[in-house]
Amino acid sequence: MSRPQSAPTRHFDADTIRRGAIACLPLLPSTMIFGAVLGVLATQRGLSLGELLFMSLTVFAGSAQFVSVDLWRETIPAATIIVATAVINLRYVLIGASLRPVFRGRPLWVKICGMHMVADENWAVTMTQENLANPGFLLGGGIFLGIVWATGNTIGYLLGGGIPDPNVYALDFAFTAVFAALTVGMWKGRVDLLPWLAAAIGSLIGHYTLPGTWSILAGAGAGVVVAALTWREDMDDTAPEPEIAADTFGAPEGTYSTEAGK
Amino acid sequence: MMSFPDLTTFSTASVLTILGMAIVTYGMRLGGLLMADRLPQQGRWAHVLERLPGAVLISVWVPSALSAGAIGIAGAAATVITMIFVRNLFAAMVAGMLLVAAGRYFLG
Repeated sequence: MSRPQSAPTRHFDADTIRRGAIACLPLLPSTMIFGAVLGVLATQRGLSLGELLFMSLTVFAGSAQFVSVDLWRETIPAATIIVATAVINLRYVLIGASLRPVFRGRPLWVKICGMHMVADENWAVTMTQENLANPGFLLGGGIFLGIVWATGNTIGYLLGGGIPDPNVYALDFAFTAVFAALTVGMWKGRVDLLPWLAAAIGSLIGHYTLPGTWSILAGAGAGVVVAALTWREDMDDTAPEPEIAADTFGAPEGTYSTEAGK
Repeated sequence: MMSFPDLTTFSTASVLTILGMAIVTYGMRLGGLLMADRLPQQGRWAHVLERLPGAVLISVWVPSALSAGAIGIAGAAATVITMIFVRNLFAAMVAGMLLVAAGRYFLG
């Protein structure tokens, strides 16, 4: 803490990982309860606890896991489950793309290690940080959420029921609330207005006309198209980004280059 | 119906299905990042990429707030307004969730 500028020069600094975990603390109750609900569902669909935990730590994507476990049968419809997972998780292509500034100037192995534990929640928390270029922060939130998620799974599986209904305590609303609150931190100025409006309208149209999570892609797609259409040459000056983000943390010269990860 | 929880069975079919899910998901996470790395750092594409997280985030929560009805819209508004003035994630979440919980208890 005495030299906060020096920590993020390392790729996965212990102190940065801890800060990332702490930043996701408000998500503990809702993640735990929904993890437990998934655990209960798994007992009804014939997954073993080991298989469920294996899934939670290798797939690590809540909504896709709910749909997959729900589809699980004695004879596993593997193709259906994998296709459903792909469709529900298509948004991770966009989430991955938007993480470019977090991994700016980092070598490929950091990207390979850092991109697994990326859930919607720790992604959103990371994207609203002031010092963005911080894979450790992202990983810390992911590890924390992974532990809470797996703990919730285990509790739900062992109890096999009797989990409080998340709707009663508005815990289902926790995810809506966290994403709504974090949107505030992503506001960069008036350039965001039209793309955000387009995203809201696009996602609503998608929600009422398309199945499942396609609404996320519809909204993000509408936002991207409007952002591309509203771009003008002079906009580049409004967001001066350093060529090598790591420099802002006082990295020794030559430690990073933008070419390192290519 | 259930005897004792099944803790340690790993069937081949389950493991392969889960690995398939994991590979597909991780591939999209890493693939998105590596694709974005190939886009230009300046100009139209950089501008679009900067708008992307906000657009994704809005598309995640706006439909779920609206489909939760009037109380969902009020809860989302309370969350956003609290965040603007207090700038604290936990406070903003609590404001929205309390409103929704109270609304469901008293009205629903």
